[in-house]
Amino acid sequence: MKIYILRLVLVLIAAATLASAQTPGYTNFIRQLQTSTGVQRDASVAASGVQWSPLPVGSGGSRFELWTVTNQPLASYLLDTKYVGAFIPVAGVTIHSEDPYGPVLRTRADRPFSVHISVSGLLNAITDPAPTKYVNVLRYVQSYGTNGTGVNLDNSHATLLTQASITQDGSQTLSYALTSIPGTNLRKVRGEERFSLFSQAQRQTSVAQIASSHIQIWPVADGVLSGLSQGQLIRLAMPQVTVTLNDLYPSSTTYVQVYHGNPQLGVTGKTVPGSTLVLNESVPQSRVLTLKGYDAVLDSEGLWTMELLTLTPFGIDRLAYVSFNLNRMIKINSNLTTIE
Amino acid sequence: MPKQHRGSKVVRQAFAWPVAVQCAWLAGLAAAAPPVMKDAATHEQLALQLRKCQQEDPMHRLPPSRAEPPPKQAQDLISQSDVLCFGGIATLVPKHAVLLLPKAMANRSEFTAGSTLMGWAEFYAKNRGWITTVEVTNEQAAGTQPLDAEVSLRLKGSICVVVATYQGGPISVLSPKASPSAPTPSDPIQSNPSKH
Repeated sequence: MKIYILRLVLVLIAAATLASAQTPGYTNFIRQLQTSTGVQRDASVAASGVQWSPLPVGSGGSRFELWTVTNQPLASYLLDTKYVGAFIPVAGVTIHSEDPYGPVLRTRADRPFSVHISVSGLLNAITDPAPTKYVNVLRYVQSYGTNGTGVNLDNSHATLLTQASITQDGSQTLSYALTSIPGTNLRKVRGEERFSLFSQAQRQTSVAQIASSHIQIWPVADGVLSGLSQGQLIRLAMPQVTVTLNDLYPSSTTYVQVYHGNPQLGVTGKTVPGSTLVLNESVPQSRVLTLKGYDAVLDSEGLWTMELLTLTPFGIDRLAYVSFNLNRMIKINSNLTTIE
Repeated sequence: MPKQHRGSKVVRQAFAWPVAVQCAWLAGLAAAAPPVMKDAATHEQLALQLRKCQQEDPMHRLPPSRAEPPPKQAQDLISQSDVLCFGGIATLVPKHAVLLLPKAMANRSEFTAGSTLMGWAEFYAKNRGWITTVEVTNEQAAGTQPLDAEVSLRLKGSICVVVATYQGGPISVLSPKASPSAPTPSDPIQSNPSKH
């Protein structure tokens, strides 16, 4: 029976490995930890492989951990864990967000995410020992700090936010409108939320983490257009504009557009040359762009609006805008006379 | 701020179509619906939303926990591993899996920035010239039995890095509990990067 469960575990982990293997820059490792002795064995499988673990499940059970490691910088992220042991419930935690990026899940400080928890193997007879009748689900939050990226994060400093028990087999989904990572400016929190399931201590086993998953939370971007003031009258060449961008979402396209008329959400204008910034990173980025020589996109006189937009998996956010009047017409008043 | 991917670039074209392409790509990833444009959320809006969210915390629907929260543990694979690195490639093995690290190869237990990480099997296949393995039993790994005398002799004479394996996979070898005189990963005959 144990062997069967063990094989199942490795199949699940291998499936997760396959998904994560699609993103370059990450290398996956699987570790088998014997909870009673502390022995660790590298139990890695190929991205699409399935194999039996040759190391027997210890008397206190074994925990299988799926890690992904980046080489630049050298940092590890725990993607999934599975615990196998006698009389230990089987559980899984999966987190979903609107960003399809992997292997490390992520979303933004103002966006929702959901946590899917499944538990099986709980006992419910009167004679069954109490620890076999429930598991605990714990929600931890941890800030990365100002400009932190979570590299080499010490999870022991995470804050336990809430905890509850699950007493029946089945699955459930916990939905959150946004993160609860604390911060003085909720737009700018960056950190991670972790959901872990723990079995209870029994005669032969101590408290064991049977499943865990986490999601990274990145801040909402902000930006400033400087060099143009609201209502400014432009008579000749367009001034140089400096675009200051902070905390751009790791997967985003940011650009400046102009259109005729007053500011209005949802208008598609003309993209200012040199203003498009495409990011495909793993952490937020801050940049400064300089725009000049873009007069050609302003092809008529009148009131114009310049907008700074960022496109992310969550939609398009307007970060800044300014309206100005353009009047490049030169009127020459002349008088032609003759001596006669 | 460290960059893990260097995929950013500034597009210097004057046309609107690159943005449209990006829009389509990202929108396709996110949802079938076209992206909605809105002003970025403010702190006040988020604070209001968070208050509501915390009042409706779905965890409150579950029975309250009856147990003390378990002690928090650091979750970091690097600190639980020894690095083997050479020739621009590297791998991670469990701490205490490296039984012998000759002084001449001490620098091969340090990660060189920019090295490509790979699994043990691939790394070992490319570095058999300076790595050798020793198969240990489950009991030897747990420290309930000492390493074989033959293994101890091999460790004394080896000029290669020696890694303990269990059926081919690197495994940590804990100090023997029963026999203090038996060879251990931290004995003077060996140099082990996992001493600390």
